[in-house]
Amino acid sequence: MKTFDLVVIGGGPAGIAAAATASKHGLQVAIIDERPTLGGQIYKRVGPGFKVKSAKEVGKDYFLGEELINELENSSVELFLETLVGTIENSAVVIVRNGESAERLNYKKLLISPGAYDRPVAFPGWTLPGVITAGAAQSLVKTQRVNPGSRIFFAGSGPLALAFPAQLSGYGANIVGIIEAAPRPGIFKALRILLAVIGNLDLMRDAAKYQFHLISNRIPMTYRRIIVSANGKDRVESVTHAKVDKNWRVIPGTEKTVEVDALCVGYGFFPSVELFRLLDCELEYEESRGGAVVKLDNWGATSVANVFGAGDGTGISGSYVAIARGRLAALKIAAELGKISDKALSTLAAGYQRTFSQRTKFQRAINNAYEIKSGIYELADNGTVICRCESVKLESILPVLESTIDPSVVKAYTRCGMGLCQGRNCQRQISALIAQKHGIPISQITQATPRFPTKPIKLGQIADATVTSEKYFIDAE
Amino acid sequence: MQQLPLRNTLSMLNNTFLPGYLSQSENFEELPTQSDVVIIGGGLLGTALSYYLAKSGVEVTLLERNDLNREASGTNAGSFHFQIALHQLTDNMTDADDKRLAEETKLMLDAAMLWDDIEKELDADLGVHFTGGFMVAETQEELQVLRDKQRIEEIAGLETQVMTGNEMREFAPYLAPDLSGIAFCPREGHANPLLVGPTYAYRAHQLGAKIRTNCEVIRIEQITGIPGFRFKIHTNRGTILCNRVVNASGAWTAEISSQLGLNLPMGLSGLHVNVTEPREYFLEAMVQHIGRRLTLKQTTNNTFIIGGGWPSREEKFPLRYSNFWESAAGNAAVAVRVLPMLKDVQLVRVWSGVWAYTNDFKPILGESEKIPGYHIAMVPTGFTLGPMVSRMLAEYMSQPGAKGLIPNEFHVDR
Ligand SMILES: Cc1cc2nc3c(=O)[nH]c(=O)nc-3n(C[C@H](O)[C@H](O)[C@H](O)COP(=O)(O)OP(=O)(O)OC[C@H]3O[C@@H](n4cnc5c(N)ncnc54)[C@H](O)[C@@H]3O)c2cc1C
Ligand SMILES: Cc1cc2nc3c(=O)[nH]c(=O)nc-3n(C[C@H](O)[C@H](O)[C@H](O)COP(=O)(O)OP(=O)(O)OC[C@H]3O[C@@H](n4cnc5c(N)ncnc54)[C@H](O)[C@@H]3O)c2cc1C
Repeated sequence: MKTFDLVVIGGGPAGIAAAATASKHGLQVAIIDERPTLGGQIYKRVGPGFKVKSAKEVGKDYFLGEELINELENSSVELFLETLVGTIENSAVVIVRNGESAERLNYKKLLISPGAYDRPVAFPGWTLPGVITAGAAQSLVKTQRVNPGSRIFFAGSGPLALAFPAQLSGYGANIVGIIEAAPRPGIFKALRILLAVIGNLDLMRDAAKYQFHLISNRIPMTYRRIIVSANGKDRVESVTHAKVDKNWRVIPGTEKTVEVDALCVGYGFFPSVELFRLLDCELEYEESRGGAVVKLDNWGATSVANVFGAGDGTGISGSYVAIARGRLAALKIAAELGKISDKALSTLAAGYQRTFSQRTKFQRAINNAYEIKSGIYELADNGTVICRCESVKLESILPVLESTIDPSVVKAYTRCGMGLCQGRNCQRQISALIAQKHGIPISQITQATPRFPTKPIKLGQIADATVTSEKYFIDAE
Repeated sequence: MQQLPLRNTLSMLNNTFLPGYLSQSENFEELPTQSDVVIIGGGLLGTALSYYLAKSGVEVTLLERNDLNREASGTNAGSFHFQIALHQLTDNMTDADDKRLAEETKLMLDAAMLWDDIEKELDADLGVHFTGGFMVAETQEELQVLRDKQRIEEIAGLETQVMTGNEMREFAPYLAPDLSGIAFCPREGHANPLLVGPTYAYRAHQLGAKIRTNCEVIRIEQITGIPGFRFKIHTNRGTILCNRVVNASGAWTAEISSQLGLNLPMGLSGLHVNVTEPREYFLEAMVQHIGRRLTLKQTTNNTFIIGGGWPSREEKFPLRYSNFWESAAGNAAVAVRVLPMLKDVQLVRVWSGVWAYTNDFKPILGESEKIPGYHIAMVPTGFTLGPMVSRMLAEYMSQPGAKGLIPNEFHVDR
C-alpha cells in the first residue's frame, strides 16, 4: 500500500494550488476529485464535446484556471479523478474509483479542500421544475452551454448575485429581473465590494462590465426584495417577490408577481464541512462565512494532527483566499516533512500571506454586507416540502419541534435529512426552525452526527470479503 | 394532563408516523419533589416499565438524560429475534445446552405473544409485522446447525422449517442459489423501534406517570430518616426523593450501579448498521446468517438495513460511537454474498449504537438483595425481550414481596 506525503481531497483552486506547490517542493502528492476534470467550481472546465475558442467567450477566470490546472498537470502529482472519498481513518483516505472496489491511500499529511455548495432555502414552490440554484445555472452554461430558460429571473444575495446573471446574459440568456435581499450598497462600499468579489484589481473591470452589462441590457435589479413563492402547476410559471425589512422578513402588501419560466436562486454558499466533521476537527460558527466553519491556524492546520484545510470548504472566502491558503498549507507541510527549511518557509510564504490577509479583509467586508438574515427561513408554509429527498413537508415537522431541540430527533421521526443528499438541503432549515421555536441562537443547535459515506457508494464496491468475523453479535474486537 | 383521544397517538402526516409523545412539551416541566418509583433511562425498558407500573397504579417518574429513545432503543433495527442464533451456541453442544436453549426459546415465545397483542394494548400502530425470518447457511456444517437448532425449537414450541436445494430456491428466489440451506421461522418479524418506546411513554403519561427529558441522573444517594423514602436522586435539574429506583439506563447501567458498590456482569459493544437507497419492495422477511454476522431487511421505506454485530468505535459520551470502514466492508460482503442483487444498491449512510450485553446473555432483572429498593432492568436482545421483561418487573414491583415472578437466573446480585 502506497503512502503519500500529502493527499489532497478536492481539485478546486485550493486543492490544485496546494498539490502543485507541495509537489514542487519534492513531496509525493495525490489529489482526489469526484468530478472527471480538475478546476472545482470557479474553474470548472467545459463538458466533453465542447471547445473554448476565445477568452472573450468564457471570461478571464477560465484562463486563470487553465494556468493553475496546467501547473498541476505538469507536476508529478498523482491524479485520482472520478474518485469518491468513502471515509478517512487511521491516516488513510478510503477511496472508491469509478466502478472499482474501495482502496486506501495512506498519507503523512492530509489537506481537505472540498469547496462549497449553494445554500438551499425553502419557500413555497422551491421544488418546482424550473427553479434551480444560481450555481447550477452557471454550471449548466459553463459546462454544457445550456440556458436554464427563456425568461429567467434571478433572486438571491451576495456578490455573485450580480456576476451570475451578467455571465448568463453574456451567453445571450433573457434575464427578466434580478432581486437582491440586502440593501443597495453605497457607492464606496459598492466599489470595494466589486473589487473584492473578483478579488483582483484588473478584474474590477469585469465587475464593472457586469454592472454595465446589466444596465445597458436594461435588466432591472431591485434591492431589499426576496422570493416568497414560485408558482405553477407542473413547472414554474411565475414568481412572487416582496420587500423585506432588515431581518429579511416580508413586508405584507409589497408582493409582486412576474411571469417567468426559470428561477435561479442564489443566497450564497455553505462550506462542505462533512469530512472535517467526520474527523472531529474543531468547528466554529461564523454566519457570514456560511455558518459552521473549520477552525484553522494561520497555516491552515485544523485541530486534528496532520490534517489541514483550505478553500471555501473551510468557510466561504472566495477563490483568491482559497489559492493563497492552499499554497500556504502546502509550504507548511513541506517544512514539517523536512523538505524546506523554516527560513525558506517564511520567505516563500510571505507573498501568499499578504494576499491571504488582504483578500480576507475584502471578503469579510462583502460577506458582512450580504450576511443572511433569519427571515429567509420563515417562508415555508405547511405544505412546503422541506426535505426534498424524502418529501417531508413542514406540517410533519412542526409537531416534533414541540418536544425537542435536537435536529437528530427531527430526523429520526420525520426522515428529514435521511435521503441521498444526507441533509445538505434541509438541515439548516431544520436548525432555523428549532432556533425560532425555542428561542435558541442557531449557532448553538447541534448538528446531526457525522457519518460516512459523504456521498452514496455501491455496496458491491464497498464489500470486502477478506474482512472476516466469525462470531455474531458480540466480542466487538 | 392533556387527554388526547386514543388512536390519535399516531398522527399520520405525509407518511410519517409520530408518536403522540413527541408533540408534548410536558417533558420540559419541573421535576416532582418525590415519587414512589424513579426510573433512570427512557429507552424501551424504562418507558415500557413506566407504562406497566402506571397501569398498576404505582406512582412513577421517569428521568431521561436526552430525548426519549435515542440510544440502543432508537438505533436498533427493530427485529424480533426468536430463532436460536449463533451467539447462543457453544462448540460442543451438550444435553444441558439443549435444555438451556429450549428455555431461552420459551422466553422468546412469551415475548412473541406480547408482540402479538402490543398494538391492541397500546392502541396504536407500531409497525408490527410478522413477516417471517430466514436463517441462512453457506456450508454443510452450518446446515447441520440449522437442523440441530430446529429440533430444539420444535421441543420449545417455536415453528421453524429447514429448506435446501430447489425447495429453497423456489421459496426465496432472490437469495444466492448456492446457499447450503435456510431455516424459515414464520413467527419472526419486526416493529418500528422509533415508535414503540415513545408510545409506551405517551400511554404511561396518560396514566399519570411523569416523564422528564434532558434530565441526567448524576448520583444516587441512599438516605435514612425520611419515612417512606430510601433514595435521593441528584440530577442536573434538581433532586427527587423516592422509595424505589429502577436503573434502566442500558449501556450505562453498570456505571451507575458501581456508585452503589454493585458490580454487574455486563459488557458493552458498539454496533455498526448500514442503510441503503430505496429499491422496489420485494424482501418481506428478515435475513440472518447462522455462521457469519448478518441481519438484513428491507424497510417499509424500501431501504435495506444491514447489520448483525459488526463493531463500531467507542467514543466518550456525549459523542456517538463512530464507524469503522472495515465493518461496512465486511458486512457488505456477507450481505452481497447472501442477497446478490445488493451489489448495485448504494450505501447511503451508516450509523452505530451502543449495545449492552450480559456475560451469560440472560437478563439482569429485579431487586438487589444487597441494596433493597434498588432495581435493575437490563437485557441484551432488548428490543425483542424488552417489553416482556419490563412487564415482568412491573408485576413484581406492584406486588411487593411477591416471589417467583422473576426467574432466579436473572438475579441482580449474581
Ligand atoms: C456552483 C458554484 C459556482 C461558483 N461560481 C463562482 C464564480 O463564478 N466565481 C467565484 O468567484 N466563485 C464562485 N464560486 C465560489 C467558489 O466556491 C470559490 O470561488 C472557489 O471555487 C473555491 O475553491 P475551492 O478549491 O475551495 O473549492 P471548489 O472549487 O468547490 O473545489 C472543490 C472540489 O472538491 C471536490 N470534492 C468535494 N467533495 C469531495 C469528495 N468527498 N470527494 C472527492 N471530491 C470532492 C469537488 O468536486 C470540487 O471539484 C462558486 C461556488 C459554487 C458552489
Ligand atoms: C445497533 C443495534 C442493533 C440492535 N438490534 C436489535 C434487534 O434487532 N433486536 C433486538 O432485540 N435487540 C437489538 N439490539 C439491542 C436492543 O436495542 C437493546 O437491548 C435495547 O434497546 C436496550 O434498551 P434499554 O432501554 O435497556 O437501553 P437504551 O435504549 O440504551 O436506554 C437507556 C437510556 O438511559 C439513558 N441514560 C443513561 N444514563 C442516564 C443517566 N445518568 N440519567 C438519565 N438517563 C440516562 C440513556 O440516555 C438512554 O436513553 C440492538 C442494539 C443496537 C445498538
